[in-house]
Amino acid sequence: MSKILRVNMTDLTARYQDVPEKYKLMGARWLTSSIVSDEVEPTCHPLGPTNKLVFAPGIVTGTAAPTSARISVGSKSPLTGTIKESNAGTKFSPMLAKLGIKAVVVEGQPKEGMWYLLEVNKDGARLLPATDLAGKGAYATTDALIGRYGKVGVCCIGPAGEMKMAMAGVCFNDLSDRASRYSGRGGLGAVMGTKGLKAIVVDDKDGPGVTIANQELFGQGCKKLTEALQTHDITKPKGALNTYGTAVLINILNEAGGLPTRNFASGTFEGAPKIAGEAIFEGNKQRLGKELYNHACSPGCIIQCSNTWHNPDGSEQVSCQEYESVWAFGANCGIDDLDVTGELIRISNDLGVDTIESGGTIAVAMEGGLAKFGDGQKAIELMQEIGKGTPLGRILGQGAAFTGRALGVIRVPGVKGQNMPAYSPRAVKGIGVTYMTSTQGADHTIGYTIAPEILSVGGKADPLSPEGKAELSRNFQIATAFLDSTGYCLFIAFAILDIPKGFEGMVQSCAAVLGTNWTADDVTRIGKEILRKERAFNEAAGFTRVDDRPPEFMRYEALPPHNKVWDIPSKALDSVWDF
Amino acid sequence: MIEIYLYGKLRRFARDQDPTGYSVVHSIVQAGDTIQGVLKRLGIPMEEVGRNIFLNRQYSALTRRVKYGDRLAVFPDNMQLLYSWYFVKVGEDHEVKKDKS
Repeated sequence: MSKILRVNMTDLTARYQDVPEKYKLMGARWLTSSIVSDEVEPTCHPLGPTNKLVFAPGIVTGTAAPTSARISVGSKSPLTGTIKESNAGTKFSPMLAKLGIKAVVVEGQPKEGMWYLLEVNKDGARLLPATDLAGKGAYATTDALIGRYGKVGVCCIGPAGEMKMAMAGVCFNDLSDRASRYSGRGGLGAVMGTKGLKAIVVDDKDGPGVTIANQELFGQGCKKLTEALQTHDITKPKGALNTYGTAVLINILNEAGGLPTRNFASGTFEGAPKIAGEAIFEGNKQRLGKELYNHACSPGCIIQCSNTWHNPDGSEQVSCQEYESVWAFGANCGIDDLDVTGELIRISNDLGVDTIESGGTIAVAMEGGLAKFGDGQKAIELMQEIGKGTPLGRILGQGAAFTGRALGVIRVPGVKGQNMPAYSPRAVKGIGVTYMTSTQGADHTIGYTIAPEILSVGGKADPLSPEGKAELSRNFQIATAFLDSTGYCLFIAFAILDIPKGFEGMVQSCAAVLGTNWTADDVTRIGKEILRKERAFNEAAGFTRVDDRPPEFMRYEALPPHNKVWDIPSKALDSVWDF
Repeated sequence: MIEIYLYGKLRRFARDQDPTGYSVVHSIVQAGDTIQGVLKRLGIPMEEVGRNIFLNRQYSALTRRVKYGDRLAVFPDNMQLLYSWYFVKVGEDHEVKKDKS
């Protein structure tokens, strides 16, 4: 029997409640967005006592479904002011699920300066003082808790979250207990900081496990999905992701002219090959004396796309240098050195900040004159400044938009206050439509690649036209909202968009766990429900269509090498929401 | 002449094969040459070539024609765009989909 854990930080209690009927089929993003919608006042101050922080594993998390160990974290974002969900791959998630916990809702606020640890296991949940952990980086916090409790699931914030910085993320441990898996986007680490919650540990030993309503259907669904993952060129063993990780995209986007370079001033970076997936593979090979393929971030993942970068002496520097992080600190800052990007990522992981927003902030700081583009040493100093909590550090810790305002930089590539990820909208306009119209600010994982035909959602318009791009973005956002609720890693999409049986298997596995009869039509129905709920929250929070727009400079500044400006009409952007 | 930038295992067809740099081959262009024709002439096995081909920084179909001065970039089959649906391929026909009714 599953339950919801309510943690009240005002009276320092942790108690279980039954799952209300309306939430029974939900998981991950569907559940976090529903609880936030139902219980958080959209106009509340995100750092105030009435905001809530919700953790939820996915529908199939904790079962034998492959690549399904994701956790969603939801709240009202201190960075964007919108509803927010961001997710991570981590053993923390299946451990919660196996204890029968559908969601953890953290509410209220303790006295300023008080820090707590939430301990969750088969016997229950309790809050303990965590004064000894306060001020520690995420690495030291995680190490201390693993030392104390054994190989449990660990969630924590770093100093950035304690200082309530708007780009603070929520850190989870990976399979090797590194502090490296992040619900990074949107400042949810700051919300956790306002709750005085430094860390959560979860131990699923002797837990009841996840109940599966239809074991036979579940087996069939998982088999189809597994086959798809194991045969597709992107997801298979020693395929694109297992060999090169997502950093393979650095060279690809560079050749597409869509790799945002030096604060989105260009779409190509001459130093791209030095920081791409191939360079990471080669560098590790030189330093370790052998080829190193990527590893799984979480239990049950068969894609295994996470890399580890090593120092010249063969010791580990950081996990991981994935596309978005390497790009943010690399091409976007004009830096072409993997040892520098590795150190910047390591500092980010330790401070507990989102690497995408951090890299974007450093790039804006460079444009604002605090460093020259390409100056890796200065970039490292600026990141360290954040950890010191100096006035400059606090400015930077608020993200790229705030930093831009402080420094008089107009060219801030963000939407709704969240900086853009590693695809340049002027070059890849379809992704730009998603950045601008998503419910959560500029976000690349919110509009994923599911072929419209699979979903039978139409796909009537010419993909070259603005209307076609809007339709594509809508379909992707709908499908992604569903996928974000399952607990599956979005990377399964690369296989299941090409292999219909894989998509079928994914839907079947979810239906089988819950005992429903879901088909592709339900994917669309549920995706739309989630998006409508999120949009309604945002509207009540004061957002209008005027917020679904590009940063102005992209309308008049032509981006080399294609020399295009952003010219998708506002009407087309608004049409994304015609459903 | 056109320049062909090769990545991954395809770098072996260039002289400079350093995976942290650019592996470039130059090729003459014949009238009516397509991307596929150029690659075949270089001896690159088509089964090793992925969907990710860029002509002058545009995501392109193999049937697209090349001309003097072009820049071609070719990725192997184990290096793929992750968001390929956002990239419209130049050189393929795009039919406006007919109404289902």
